[in-house]
Amino acid sequence: MDLVGFVEGTKMDKGYIENGFIVDVSNASKTSEIIYELSRILDLPDAQSKKVCLKLGSVDLSATELTSIKALVESMNSEIEFVSTSSDVTVKSAEELNIEVSVLENKVPTPEFNADQEKINKELERALDKIFGDENTEIKTFAQEKDLKELKEVSSSSSIAQEVSSESVEAPVAVAEVVETSVDSVASEKTESEPSNGSSEEFHSEPIIINEQFDFDEFNAKLNDANLIDGEEIKEIDYNLDDLRKSLRETEKLPTLYIQRTLRSGQSITSEGNIVIIGDVNPGSEVIAKGDITVWGILGGIAHAGSEGNKFARIRALKMNAIQLRIADTFARRPDSINIPYIQKSDTFIPEEACIRRKQIYIHKIHEV
Amino acid sequence: MSGRVIVITSGKGGVGKTTTNANIGTALARMGKKVVMIDTDLGLRNLDLLLGLENRIVYTIVDVVEERCKLKQALVKDKKNPNLCLLAAAQTRDKSAVTQEQLKEICEKLQKDFDFILVDCPAGIEQGFQNAVAGASEAIVVTTPEMSAVRDADRIIGLLEAKEEIKSYKLLLNRVRPNLIKSNDMMSVDDVVEILSAELIGIIPEDTGIITSTNKGEPIVNDEKSLAGQAYNNVARRIIGEDVPFLNLDEPKGVVAKVKKFFSGLMGKEK
Repeated sequence: MDLVGFVEGTKMDKGYIENGFIVDVSNASKTSEIIYELSRILDLPDAQSKKVCLKLGSVDLSATELTSIKALVESMNSEIEFVSTSSDVTVKSAEELNIEVSVLENKVPTPEFNADQEKINKELERALDKIFGDENTEIKTFAQEKDLKELKEVSSSSSIAQEVSSESVEAPVAVAEVVETSVDSVASEKTESEPSNGSSEEFHSEPIIINEQFDFDEFNAKLNDANLIDGEEIKEIDYNLDDLRKSLRETEKLPTLYIQRTLRSGQSITSEGNIVIIGDVNPGSEVIAKGDITVWGILGGIAHAGSEGNKFARIRALKMNAIQLRIADTFARRPDSINIPYIQKSDTFIPEEACIRRKQIYIHKIHEV
Repeated sequence: MSGRVIVITSGKGGVGKTTTNANIGTALARMGKKVVMIDTDLGLRNLDLLLGLENRIVYTIVDVVEERCKLKQALVKDKKNPNLCLLAAAQTRDKSAVTQEQLKEICEKLQKDFDFILVDCPAGIEQGFQNAVAGASEAIVVTTPEMSAVRDADRIIGLLEAKEEIKSYKLLLNRVRPNLIKSNDMMSVDDVVEILSAELIGIIPEDTGIITSTNKGEPIVNDEKSLAGQAYNNVARRIIGEDVPFLNLDEPKGVVAKVKKFFSGLMGKEK
C-alpha cells in the first residue's frame, strides 16, 4: 500500500484538488485494508479538514462498502472529493452515492535517471529501516511514517533538479577513471591527517599530515600477517583541474539521498549515490556513500565516501570533527591529541572538505578551491 | 596457554561495569598480563570511549562473526600498553547480531593468545547477558550499596549459579561512600555481602576522578594517587591470586585530608 502523500494542488485531468490530497490504496484488495489505511492517514494532524481523492485500483466495492468508507472519511472531518477506480462495480456504487468518479492522472513528470529507480527506492527504504530500527514492524508510528514520506518526496524532487542540471550541460562527459580497489583493504592504508583548522595552504601546497601509523595495525601484523595486505602500491593520482572536473562529473551523475535530520549514535546510512545530510552526524553513527558525503552540520561520526573505490569522492562538512574519515580505501582517524568531547554549537564554523591527495586524506577549507 | 575468561556483569545499569572492565583490564595489562577486553554491549558501546580508542576502531565483533575480517584484525591495541587489546562492539547493530555460540567460539580462539579475556556485559538479563556469559568461566558481579542494585545483583547471581560453565563468581562493590555508611545512610559492605552471600573481590570508593578519567579516555588505574585507582589495582592483584588486604576507606589519607577532617570536626559536621 503506497501513500502518495500530501500533493497539494496536484494536476490531474479534473484540474486541481484544492486543499486536499490523494490517498493511494490501489494495492489494497480488501475493504478492511482500505479502511485501516484511511483511518491511519486521516488521523494525521496534517490531514484534518482536507479533501481526499481516493485512488482505489481494481478492487470491487459495493455501495454499502463505499458508504462505510465515506462515513469513515466524514467522521474524520474530511470529505471525499472524488474516487479513481478501474473497477466497474465501484463506479456504479459510486454513482449511486453521488460520489464523483474520475481518472487520476499525475501530470507531474516522474524523475528519471540512469540508475534503477526501483533499486534506489529499495535502498532508501533500507536506509530508513536502518535508521528507524525494526524492519519487521509493519505499523510504523506516525512520526516515522511522516518522515518516510517526507524523505521520499524530498528525494524525488531533488532528483528532478539533478536531472535538469545534467541535461542542460550538453558537453561530452569523459568518464573519470576510477581506480578499483576493494574496501576490505581499508586497514592497509595507514594515514592520519589533522583537521587543519587554521591552515591556509594553497590547493597544490603540502598538507599538514602527521605520519603516525595507527598502531593496532602494526600489532595485527605481528600477530597475524597472513591476511594483511601490506605495502600494496596504490597508483599515484595526479591532481590537476581535469581530474577535478572528472571527479565532479563522476559523483554528479549519481543519485543523491537527501536527509533532513540529525543522525544519532548507532544510526547508519548507506547509499549507492551521494548523501546530503542537513543536520549533524553525531559520534557513533556512520554514513557510507558510493559518491560524496555532504553534511550541513557537525560531522562527528564515521564517514566513508567513495565506498566502492572512487578515490575522487569527497566529504564535506560545516565542521569536521569526525572520529574516522574514509575515502575509497584510505583511512584517517582523529588524532588522539585532539580531545573535543563536544562542539559548541555557537562556534563559528569553517566549512571543510576532505579528499585524497598523495594517497592520504587531506582536509582543507572549502572556499579555497 | 589457556586464558581465563571473566565476565563482568551486574544486572542493573550504571553501576560501573564498563569502568570496572576498563580499569581491571588496564591494571592486569600493567602487571604484564596479556589482556583482551570484549565489549558485548552491541548498540550501546562505551568501553572504547573509556579507553580512548574510539577513533581506532575499524572492525567490530559483528564484522568478525560475519566474517568480514579476521579476529586478529578486529583487535584494537591500546595506545599505551601493548598487552592490552579491545574487541569493540558494533554501534549500528543490536544484540541479536551475535549468538552465544559465536561469542563462545571467539572466547575460545582468544584464550590461546591471551591470559585474560574480560567480557563487558550489557545491563539486563536478556540476550545480551546470555551472550556475554556464554563463553565465560568466571564472573565478577558489580554492584553498588543500593537496594535496587543489590536486588539485581542477587538475580544475576541466581542466573550465574544456574549456569554450569560459570565455575566461580565474585562480588565487587562499587561507589562505596564511607561517610554515608558511617552515618547509616548507606548499606555497609557487610550488609551487602550478607544479603548476597558471595565472596568479595573488591571495594571501590566513590571517586570524582572517575568522571574525569572517563571523559579523557584514560582509565583511573593509571593515576597512582587516586584511591579508586588503587582499589582497582588491588582487585586485579586479587584476580591473579595475590592476597591483598582491602583498602581502609575510613581513614582519610594525606595531611590535607586530615586537616580538612579536623576543621570539619570543628564545624560540627562530617563532610
